[in-house]
Amino acid sequence: MIKKLQSKQGTAHQLKSSPEYRQASFTWVISLTLSVILLLNSFDFAGGALKPWVFTAFAAYALFTIVQMIITLLIRRDLLRTGDIRRSTRLLGYIQLLSIITGNLFTVTFGFNLVKQQKPPEYTIAVYMLLTQLYVIAISALNLFKPYVSNTFLPAMFILVVVAILQLIALLLVAKFVTSHYAHPKLVWLALPIIVTAATGNIFALVLGINLLAKIRKNGNPAMTRWSDVWIKLTANSTAMAGLFFVIFLFCLSVCSVFTFDYSVAIDNNYSAILLPPSLEYPFGTDNFGRDLFSRIVFGARISLIVGFASTLIPVIIGGILGAISGYYGRQTDNIIMRLLDVLYAIPGILLAIAIIAAFGANTVNLILALSVGAIPTYARTMRANVMLVSTYEYVDAARAFGSSNFSIIFKHIVPNSLAPMIVKSTLTIGAAVISTSSLSYLGLGVEPHIPEWGNILKIGSTYLETNSYLAIYPGLAIIALVLSFNFLGDGLRDALDPKLD
Amino acid sequence: MGGTEAARRGGLIGSISTTYHKILLNPSYKYLLLLLGAPVNLVVFLFYLVQRRKDDYTAAENRIRSAMLASGYLEALQAEIAQQQKRKHEFFKQKISEQQLQQEVERIAQARFKEELRDRTTKELLLNNKKRLTMADTFDRLIANPLFFIISLIPGLLMYILIFLYRSPYLKYIVERLAMTILVIFGVAVLVFTILYLSPFNPAANILGETATPEQIAAFNKMHGLDQGYLTQLWNNIKGIAYFDLGKSFSGNEDITNSIARKFPITLTLTVISLIIAIAIALPIGIISATRPNSFFDYTFMFVALIGLSIPNFWQGLILILNFSIKLQWLPATFNPENWLSIVMPVIVLGTGLTASVARMTRSSTLEVIHEDYMITARAKGLGKQTILMKHAVRNAIIPIITVIGLQFGGMMGGSAVTEKVFNISGIGSYIVDKQFIPDIPAIMGGVVYTAITISLVNVIIDILYAFFDPRIRSKMKQY
Repeated sequence: MIKKLQSKQGTAHQLKSSPEYRQASFTWVISLTLSVILLLNSFDFAGGALKPWVFTAFAAYALFTIVQMIITLLIRRDLLRTGDIRRSTRLLGYIQLLSIITGNLFTVTFGFNLVKQQKPPEYTIAVYMLLTQLYVIAISALNLFKPYVSNTFLPAMFILVVVAILQLIALLLVAKFVTSHYAHPKLVWLALPIIVTAATGNIFALVLGINLLAKIRKNGNPAMTRWSDVWIKLTANSTAMAGLFFVIFLFCLSVCSVFTFDYSVAIDNNYSAILLPPSLEYPFGTDNFGRDLFSRIVFGARISLIVGFASTLIPVIIGGILGAISGYYGRQTDNIIMRLLDVLYAIPGILLAIAIIAAFGANTVNLILALSVGAIPTYARTMRANVMLVSTYEYVDAARAFGSSNFSIIFKHIVPNSLAPMIVKSTLTIGAAVISTSSLSYLGLGVEPHIPEWGNILKIGSTYLETNSYLAIYPGLAIIALVLSFNFLGDGLRDALDPKLD
Repeated sequence: MGGTEAARRGGLIGSISTTYHKILLNPSYKYLLLLLGAPVNLVVFLFYLVQRRKDDYTAAENRIRSAMLASGYLEALQAEIAQQQKRKHEFFKQKISEQQLQQEVERIAQARFKEELRDRTTKELLLNNKKRLTMADTFDRLIANPLFFIISLIPGLLMYILIFLYRSPYLKYIVERLAMTILVIFGVAVLVFTILYLSPFNPAANILGETATPEQIAAFNKMHGLDQGYLTQLWNNIKGIAYFDLGKSFSGNEDITNSIARKFPITLTLTVISLIIAIAIALPIGIISATRPNSFFDYTFMFVALIGLSIPNFWQGLILILNFSIKLQWLPATFNPENWLSIVMPVIVLGTGLTASVARMTRSSTLEVIHEDYMITARAKGLGKQTILMKHAVRNAIIPIITVIGLQFGGMMGGSAVTEKVFNISGIGSYIVDKQFIPDIPAIMGGVVYTAITISLVNVIIDILYAFFDPRIRSKMKQY
């Protein structure tokens, strides 16, 4: 009995300690869920007809889900028999690489993870970098079905494809010449052009370049830096990476859409194409003015990202400074600052934003300010608690003994060491800011109504809920996807930055 | 010690003088006490000045001073200082007149002499186990006389109330917390009014239309007091909030407090119902997830919770309406107080975010507690799994969960504006949103401030409940 129990525990432990197995089971569950969602959507329940396109997508997803399940079982058998994954099982990962045609991010990344045994963080980042670029190209290519494209479409697409090829080469080189402690010195000549490709908005390229340069610099030095440690933990977390991927993908798409998407399709009325259902020409259909919903959502991403980041950055800076001063000086300073912030804290964020917008009018700048003001106290409290903790450390005493001024102690020694919880908190609250932005726009209190912003699109969609419900569903899905990504990323960052887990 | 003596005498007067001693040691309450009981304290101070003349300290000081003077200590000191000063001036090559030097020496010598005198006197008193008379001691002696207490009762009533409140740590904590809340609410009123006052919009022009003559606008402004200065308007609004009389709204000529009183209960009922349901769902889910970390259950629940956190309220409302009202026609799409079915969807929408965050918080705080040493002790004692979980884990994990609930309550009250708009509920949130286009200053202000008051009061109650339920906080409170 005890032996059986022990062996059962041992099995569970053996399986859980293998990152591939964990990711494999996670992937097939997610992939199965996606397939089921597609299957449900492929039937038109009212008409009793089958939507051929959605059903094809379902079939493709289902196929790769079955492959995924088989791989999971094989990995399980391998682990239990030999404690290691066999080479033949790893080769099956190449099949999953093909799922890139279906756009299933989870199976693709799993395939990339399976085919390589030793995965330095640079490899994972390079994979996501390439995927981001390919997804952006694929999304932009949907414009080919439109009657006309913007003038910059062809050159922009050409550049994107060249960049993607460069990044594919980079991925292969990284896979070959980078291990967890060593990077070939000549890769400097790869890192620099890769950093340049970040101009397309692909932040993964920037991160990869910096990581490579940092690794080359400390070749042979066994010391770990905080930065690389965080990336090792973050790249091992597939949900966090999926979140980061979607955020960077949207950012990259927002940057590229300037050249590859035609803004006039999104804002100009087209009375010959009013309230069309989704088709290849208009992937998400058109609204009551004949505007392409898909382009509107793509252009809305940039507003959501800008407002989300700005209305998080402003309170992080103001609240951070107030909290740092309050926590460092303590006593009366602390009392006065925190009591004043308590006043702000007592008003719910949305109501304060409504009051501010009521007073100064509804536009994007006011919206950012209104959302920022309400968030200051939360950051100030987080920062204050950290600063109070950090100011008791010896190196702060040492700095004081050196004769550093209070200002330089706070901003050179204390603040950099108490940033981690602020980063986690701000990542988690960018999502909330995105929701607030669209909620206020929905109420008519946010972004100006003529700008394609997700809340504005939804506001129009809500009036056509009965007849053209897709007008309300797609922008909502976009909001959820973005917010969910930020939340996943925030959770992953918390796990990566939390010193308690070390 | 005077204080302990008084306490030994026991009774009311004893505890009054002990507390008086304590308050005078507290840097911030000291001034409040002196101010509140100013007439009584003045009398005590006069007595103190008189009695101080003949207390042990003064006597010892006089004796030691004459002894020091007699031993020629001052002259020796002066000579020494003169020497030092001369050397110093020589070293720095400063020219200084004889008279100036004399003055300098005299000043330094006096200061040093005083210091030495104080040191010696304190030492002497310490040796003889005596102490210097303080104002609190004078008060002790006076209050010991019942006559003084009775006479001072009327002029010093406020002071005695303060002493009474300060005596019990719980009362002190509650009153402090309430006072802070009132200050915060006052701050909220000032802040919201200032924001609305700074508004570049002109309500008169918005309501009367573009064709309004300047006279009409002036009359409108006069009627609603908009022609008065900032401070007058602010004072009127704050008074209006305190007396529940905010006057008539700019448009529609309705009584604002009345409308708010009619709409507030709807929002509050909705919030409270979804709060209760959310907690009832979230706590078990969080606990189950924490007891089986990283299991399939755990992952699924936490994934669903994360999705719940990421869904915008209004979109969720629209999707529910689409599915349950339009397609299936099970539930009515708009809220109607007579039909209880119509409350189902708003409650679900409002409660989703809370359920998600409470479930996540419950999981993480239970997980943190579950690895504590006392849990191992409990298991070692042979307690059942249920008992360990309920009595040891959840009870200790519940504190941060309650905090999250308190915070989320505020978020729900604010977020209800969106939900109310989706389901066409005439609650306080949609009232504020409707009024903001004008902008109807007193109506918005009333709505926001009354909501803030409700939230603050709920948080005060939660804080006070903590203090009673959590022994750690209780013992910390007593240490003051």
